[in-house]
Amino acid sequence: MRAESDWRSNRHRAAFHASSAGLFGAGLLIAFLHRMALLDIAPNRLLPGAPVVASGFGDGSIGLVLLLSLAGLVLLATLPRRMGGLLAVGLFAAAWAFLLLGLGAEATRRLASMPPAARASLGSGFWMASACLLAFAGASIGRARIRGLGLLAALAVAGILIAAWHGGGLDRLSLVVEYAGRQETLHRAVAEHLLLSGGAIVLALPAAVILSLWRSGEGIVGLVVSGIQVIPAVALFGGLVALVSGLVRAVPALRDLGLSALGPWPALIGIAAYLLLPLWRGIGTALRSADPAAIDAAEAIGLTRGQILRQVRLPLGAPVLVGALRVATVQSLGLATLGALIGAGGLGRIVFDGMAQFAPDLILLGAIPIVALSLAAEAALSAMEASCRARWRA
Amino acid sequence: MTHRLRPAFGIFLVGAIFAAMSHPSLAAWIVAGLGEEPRRGLSAERLLALATHHLGLAALGLALVAVLGLGLGILVTRAFAAPLRGGIDGIAAAAQAVPPVVMVALALPILGFGGPPTLLALVAYGIMPVLRGTVGALESVSPEAREAAEALGFTPIQILLRVELPLALPGLVDALRTALVLAIATTAVGALAGASTLGTPIVAGLQNQNVLPMLQGALATAALAFLCDAVLLGLASLVSADRARQ
Repeated sequence: MRAESDWRSNRHRAAFHASSAGLFGAGLLIAFLHRMALLDIAPNRLLPGAPVVASGFGDGSIGLVLLLSLAGLVLLATLPRRMGGLLAVGLFAAAWAFLLLGLGAEATRRLASMPPAARASLGSGFWMASACLLAFAGASIGRARIRGLGLLAALAVAGILIAAWHGGGLDRLSLVVEYAGRQETLHRAVAEHLLLSGGAIVLALPAAVILSLWRSGEGIVGLVVSGIQVIPAVALFGGLVALVSGLVRAVPALRDLGLSALGPWPALIGIAAYLLLPLWRGIGTALRSADPAAIDAAEAIGLTRGQILRQVRLPLGAPVLVGALRVATVQSLGLATLGALIGAGGLGRIVFDGMAQFAPDLILLGAIPIVALSLAAEAALSAMEASCRARWRA
Repeated sequence: MTHRLRPAFGIFLVGAIFAAMSHPSLAAWIVAGLGEEPRRGLSAERLLALATHHLGLAALGLALVAVLGLGLGILVTRAFAAPLRGGIDGIAAAAQAVPPVVMVALALPILGFGGPPTLLALVAYGIMPVLRGTVGALESVSPEAREAAEALGFTPIQILLRVELPLALPGLVDALRTALVLAIATTAVGALAGASTLGTPIVAGLQNQNVLPMLQGALATAALAFLCDAVLLGLASLVSADRARQ
């Protein structure tokens, strides 16, 4: 009897806490949407703009956004787990889409009577409200516990973005104008960025395998590899440029091989150096993760060492290996940004150009693909990790 | 006790060697050895001033990160905040995907040149590792310890202060150590936003193709990172030694 009433009061308390968290979130969202600048209208791309708040909008799109989000919160708090979570994710995605389209429409309306150099940038209110909606969506996905819902939501939002962009609804937003002017540069930068971070992984993988084969030097390798992590990337890149320039001077033949102090090579080496720790540690853990009993059994049925490696150790360690690769990939994509500092190109160059010109939208144009690439890599590789785990455990 | 401090001492030694190598006379000698003509190096005083400023900025950022990260971590692990967990985890994952350079770059238009954007990037980038570390450390406290304290009639605040936090201390110090290394690195990147840190001579050297200040800055930044890491590692081993004795 007592247990039951305890259980009921716990459940009651949890529901109360969930609804108070929802109220808190709703309050934040209302404040972001109605008190902060949603758009900044400036005479050109470099001057600071005049803020436009929700009350100055020509249509009711912000009201609709708020309505959809609040409906999502209410459904999340009242409906059962799966149903409530699923519907809420849909409503939050729709709210975000209407927010973006509403801002695109408002930008078009406002800029119609202004000179062509005028710009409409997304304001701080938009970014904060987006973060708020992202947090709501994260909470609903966590509550729904439906496999693949996160991926589905991300794809839906990407689809909305692409449709809105092709439909021309966002054409007057400064970010889209900035993109239209630099399409070629951006595409090349993305390719360079992927090449740089992929190349560093390709460089670091065999090095990590060789290091993990050196069993007697495990202590030293561990110290060196984790010591590298302590060195700030700016310092390592700067130091490598100095070293490589000295090396090229001492051995001019290297210059003919395409090695130069500024350019992709020092960046590749620098990034690869940071990837050694996750990869080396992952390989070590993966190879040790097989149960000694399983190894004994494999030996007993007469498998050779190579067969044991291929048929027992690698499959059992696969999730750990993929996990290490995931950490290394995300790290590599981030570090490649800094490569632009030493002339390696990539998306960092667009970010640095934006910083030099003090043009916020140019910075965003470089930053958004970096973040999107890291998130995509993280999501894809953690899905792979989970499927490895499910497959080999079964 | 001393053998516990040995790893920290090793890291300290590496830091000290790097610091010595960043000294103008030694660095000029290295640069000459690389076949480059050493010119316009930084004086030891200038290097020290930059290091002090770097350390001050990083320490301020770390203090903010520690307060916010620990506070949020404690808040999130309370029973009443359970519904917030999903949302906070989502934002944490998203924030980790933004590299420090990009954080500094994004903060630049909001806060202008100098220290403030660096500080914002420090907080934005450092808070998640501390938050995650705090949550992990607090969750690793065994439920039995908590239940025992409850049975003894402790209030929730007493349980937090006298059971959970002391038991989670090694994990908390580890989280702070990670945050410190991140803070030193992010502050170095802050040079790009015009903060005067040890990253400044590196960036300036890269722009002017001048190897000497670049190398000095790189060595000094690495030295600072190693020295600070050694201090916190020493602290961590003292904490765990203290725990072992109890």
